[in-house]
Parts: sequence; C-alpha cells; structure tokens
Amino acid sequence: MRPSVHITTPIEPREIRIKRLRIPKARQKELVAMMDQAWARLAAEKETPPIDSVQPGKKPERASAAD
Amino acid sequence: MPLPPINPNAVFLNIPYDEEFHKLYIAYIVGLSQLGFDPRIASGIPGGERRLDRVLSLIQSCRYSIHDLSRVELGVAPPATPRFNMPLELGMAITWAKINPKRHTWFLWESTPRRLQKSMSDLDGTDPYIHGGTVDGVLSELRNAFVRVGAPTVQAMMDAYRIAESHIDGILAGAGTRNLFAASVFKELCFVAEDVARRTTEDLTK
Repeated sequence: MRPSVHITTPIEPREIRIKRLRIPKARQKELVAMMDQAWARLAAEKETPPIDSVQPGKKPERASAAD
Repeated sequence: MPLPPINPNAVFLNIPYDEEFHKLYIAYIVGLSQLGFDPRIASGIPGGERRLDRVLSLIQSCRYSIHDLSRVELGVAPPATPRFNMPLELGMAITWAKINPKRHTWFLWESTPRRLQKSMSDLDGTDPYIHGGTVDGVLSELRNAFVRVGAPTVQAMMDAYRIAESHIDGILAGAGTRNLFAASVFKELCFVAEDVARRTTEDLTK
C-alpha cells in the first residue's frame, strides 16, 4: 500500500508563497529577467524545426503565417 | 505544550545532500511547485538550533513529507559507513504521524522496486514510489502521490524542469557558492520553480 492524496482545496496564492521566501526585490527582478530570457530561448527552440527536418537549400518555415 | 502551526501546502523533503542527487533535487522542487506545494529542506531554515531539533520542527510544521531512500547506501569516503540520516528522519516523521495522523502524511520514494524490503523490512506493507533515478520518474510519481485536478502533464513539468535547471549557474554565482543545498540557493530555486509554475500551469488557487 502506498498513500496518495487527492488535493481538492485551493492552494495559497503564489504571491504569498513568494513573499515567504524573503528574497530581496532587486534579486527577484534579476531572477525574473533570467527567466524571461530562458523562456524566449525555449520558445525559439520550439518554433524552429530540428535541423534534420529542413531540406538542404530551403529555409525553415516560420510558425506564424504573418511572417 | 501547544502544537506548532502547520502549513497545509508544505512538503518536507528528506533527501541526500550530494552532487549525484542534484537533478532529482531540482525535480522535486519544480514538481512540487507545479503541483502547488511549498518544498522545505532542513538546510533551508535559518537559526542556530541543533540540527535534529530543526528537522523535527520542520516535520511538525509540514503537512506532508517525502523520504527518498534511494541513496541509503555505504558512503564512499572512508571509513565506509551507511547513511543513516534519511532513515532517522523517516522514523521521526512516522512517529509524528502516528501520534497526529490528521496533521502529517509521509511518503516513501525509492529508485528500484524491492530495495526497501531489503533495507527496511519493518516497512513491509508500505510500497514506495519508484522514480528509477530519473527526473521524469520523480515528476510522474509526484503526480501519482499528489493527485490534483488541473495538474500539469509530465511533459509540461519536464519543460519547467529544463527552464529551472538552466538557471542553476546564475543562482549559484549570485549566491557565491557551489552548494546547491545552501539555504539561499534553495530559496532562489523555489522562487524560480514558482515563477515557472506561474507561467506554465493554470491558476490552482481558485
């Protein structure tokens, strides 16, 4: 037997949990800026098809039709 | 003596503090944050209390605890000695939960099936969650242990893990340490995990 818990109650708002970590605001901003860059990189990686799926001499297709 | 206040979302992590466990350590922090929990570790609490007292206070203040026994083995550095901290802290949690079953629930984690029966036959009848020593093993078993409607998929959790992992060097540099388990590093890892959760999961606070 192994226990499992069915969570049905709402959790504490994230702002409260983050406040409890007591990280200085300036450092929070630095970390968020780092996160923004990481997300941008991840999004770019997901938009670009793997190299081996692109035929030689052809540009990779963009995800957005507006491009 | 009054019982200490309890945080219903706090999960005490009883894990090995060693380099080989880094990936799984990050996986626990990210996975728990994604599921709406606050991970806690013994080194994450300040104060000059004796370590054992700190650990007991932490267990008492957390609604849940996870005890990863996958690295209960002989330490490499001489003299070869079994690592007893994790079983000791598990014993404390079991006792606390026996006395206060509505205040605490503990979970066992292992890397391979049947290892636990060999190392701790007293726990016969308690099946551990098996992570197989992998990040996605930890994440998928966390979803099995803590079942929540709207929980992110393991794939989404893996994406979150990769994002968090990519911040390790920046966090360590900011803290001026190489110790991933240092209190300030742990706090920043939790912050990053929270931020990833905010961006990837639906709002579970409603």
